[in-house]
Amino acid sequence: MDLGLSHFLAVSAALFTIGVVGIFVNRKNIIVILMAIELILLSVNLNLIAFAVFSGTIAGQVFAMLVLTVAAAEAAVGLAILVVYFRNRGDISVENVDLMKG
Amino acid sequence: MIDFTAMILTVGPELWLVAIALIGVLVGATLKDRFNSVSIKFGALALFAAAAFSLMNYEGGEAFNGLVRTNTFVNFAKFVSYVLAGFALLTSEGFLKRHGTIRYEYSLLILLASFGMGMILSAADLMTLYMGVETLSLSSYVLAAFHRDSAKASEAGLKYFVLGALASGMLLYGASLVYGFSGSTEYAVIAAADPSIGMMFGMVLMIVGLAFKVSAAPMHIWTPDVYEGAPTPVVAFFASAPKMASMVVFANVMFTMFGDVIDQWQLIICIIAGLSMIVGSLGALTQTNIKRLLGYSSIANMGYALVAVAAGPELGAGPLLVFLTLYVIASLGLFMGVLAMRRKGGMVEGINELGGLMRKRPVLAIALSILIFSMAGLPPFGGFFGKWEVLSAGVEAGLMPVVIILVLASVVSLGYYLRLIKIMWFDEPTERFEAVDGPVTITVLLAALIAGILFLFFISALSGWAGTAALGLAG
Amino acid sequence: MAVIAFYLIAAVVLVSALSVIMARNPVHSVLWLILAFFSSAGLLVLIGAEFLAMLLVVVYVGAVAVLFLFVVMMLDVDFVELKRGTLRYWPFAVLVGIIFAAEIVLASVIGTADMETNFDASPGAETNAEAIGQVMYTQYLLLFQMAGIILLVAMVGAIVLTLRHRPETKRQNIAKQTSRRRSDAYELKDPTPGQGI
Repeated sequence: MDLGLSHFLAVSAALFTIGVVGIFVNRKNIIVILMAIELILLSVNLNLIAFAVFSGTIAGQVFAMLVLTVAAAEAAVGLAILVVYFRNRGDISVENVDLMKG
Repeated sequence: MIDFTAMILTVGPELWLVAIALIGVLVGATLKDRFNSVSIKFGALALFAAAAFSLMNYEGGEAFNGLVRTNTFVNFAKFVSYVLAGFALLTSEGFLKRHGTIRYEYSLLILLASFGMGMILSAADLMTLYMGVETLSLSSYVLAAFHRDSAKASEAGLKYFVLGALASGMLLYGASLVYGFSGSTEYAVIAAADPSIGMMFGMVLMIVGLAFKVSAAPMHIWTPDVYEGAPTPVVAFFASAPKMASMVVFANVMFTMFGDVIDQWQLIICIIAGLSMIVGSLGALTQTNIKRLLGYSSIANMGYALVAVAAGPELGAGPLLVFLTLYVIASLGLFMGVLAMRRKGGMVEGINELGGLMRKRPVLAIALSILIFSMAGLPPFGGFFGKWEVLSAGVEAGLMPVVIILVLASVVSLGYYLRLIKIMWFDEPTERFEAVDGPVTITVLLAALIAGILFLFFISALSGWAGTAALGLAG
Repeated sequence: MAVIAFYLIAAVVLVSALSVIMARNPVHSVLWLILAFFSSAGLLVLIGAEFLAMLLVVVYVGAVAVLFLFVVMMLDVDFVELKRGTLRYWPFAVLVGIIFAAEIVLASVIGTADMETNFDASPGAETNAEAIGQVMYTQYLLLFQMAGIILLVAMVGAIVLTLRHRPETKRQNIAKQTSRRRSDAYELKDPTPGQGI
């Protein structure tokens, strides 16, 4: 069996699902949620690059490079917000994110 | 060879904004705190100039090898968004000064967020769309947490970030599938591609991501919390300019990229619209915080707007622009009203604290009442005509179930709108209100004037204008 | 051969991704994340996208993961306390997750069945990096610039949120330091005996 596009799509779909499930299941620690977001972006990158290589177009690889840049920027902003939150509240467990409800 | 004329014609306002923002970074780094309040005026001026700029190039064009393409439809939205963003920035000075958080970075972030709005509106390629969405979102996350010493603001920022990043991930995963199965990231090529099942799957994921950005149900959960927690001027910005831009982008993506497969997405959009209207109007009934209430009301209003999207490009594009324009003006005006009410020791945010506003500050109370009536869509005011256009577009497109939900949701929403009016006009006054800043009052009055009377002068022009603007989609 | 390598590496990717969200200690999560990035880079090398594979390691492991590690270490949280009671949502989440993944896989695999592939990691160029370089600064110039703007937003945002000027910390003011003259630093007094200054 040759290495095909569907192999990569399957891995990336599984990775995407792990990321999404990671966000919803994790009730205790926000840092892990940020890591799950990075997993989602990683799965997108795999998807884009696999599509680009198997279709012989370069756009997907450029797109993946942009996603990589944005992922770094997003991590920086996310962690900055997390640090601010921690300074105000003194902990980072998800269950305590409940100042506003209704 | 770079074609500068085409660049200016297409994304001139955005290039201008980003240039101003970069200059602002340098000036701010040199002048430090002396630049703080000047930057707000300069930023607002730059935004108004960008609005004028987008009118000058109203016909639009194509540049950067097809990465951006504009037409009258998006230029109309650009104009409205920039004007509102300018007002939202101009009116924030007093609030930030009183809270001791006035910093020139605020203006820079608003300018960069507006740049993002312009780019998503101009986008003709999935990559431009994604980069624009991220520019807008990242600056919005930071703006939501801008009061970094307030526990509520940082919690709002955190929630907005986590859910927003998830939505961006969905949008992106959808975009990657659409790219993979159509073989290109350009809107035009995707529109011509054979709609395979994989591509439709990507489209659904993209709809989910975009629904989050316009705060439509079931991706609305962040809205009330962010509206309550974030600083009021920031919320006034969120509720006006990006709302307009994101909704028009939503429509633009559906109309230009997936215009031929409307049968596939019409039902999905209808469900999202119906859910938003129900969740929004029922959720608002029990609220006691004005900002939270307006958050729910914006969810419901996005539902109304989505009915116009579901009606398709020929029927829905014009009404969408009319409705959104009137809605975002009223929305900005109401948030300015929240900004205008101040007591010793803090802002007025509880609904019951509004009691006696009519006796203490009659002009403000009348202006707010007009805006509330307009938002509720009662006949003599502007909002009614917007809703009417959407309603008739829905009927013409044969979307009876959502049209019925629209009417019912409007009736339910009267409940909380009238409660606000009742408290303002008839309840006993509590404490005295403090004086407010000039720009805020002017904006409230201006918005009320437009929603109350002035719209009569340009409603036909606006419909006609929006109608021709919508033609830009076809061409 | 490539297929065997693919299955091996893909298994590592998925196991480490699962460990990221299941690990009890966030420091372990970050380390698993690094492994996931590394092995994904391996997957990319298998299909010839070397440049992005390298970039993945440089950006993710070099910048993002280190940033995460830094914050995890900086925020002094009692992590053992944090992780108790997470099991409640797992069965439901796993069920939904499996259905979700199956749907995407199905849609993708059905979609690719009749797709014509044209395997080429570096269209129009000798190497992968060259192919990207040819379009990065020409056709996609605008996106390249926008990426810069996004990084600027992130920088401004991170600074505006977290930077605090503490009055008690001593900072070096170079202008003040170099403009100091001998006359500013000391003066000569001539105290008379028995009186002091």
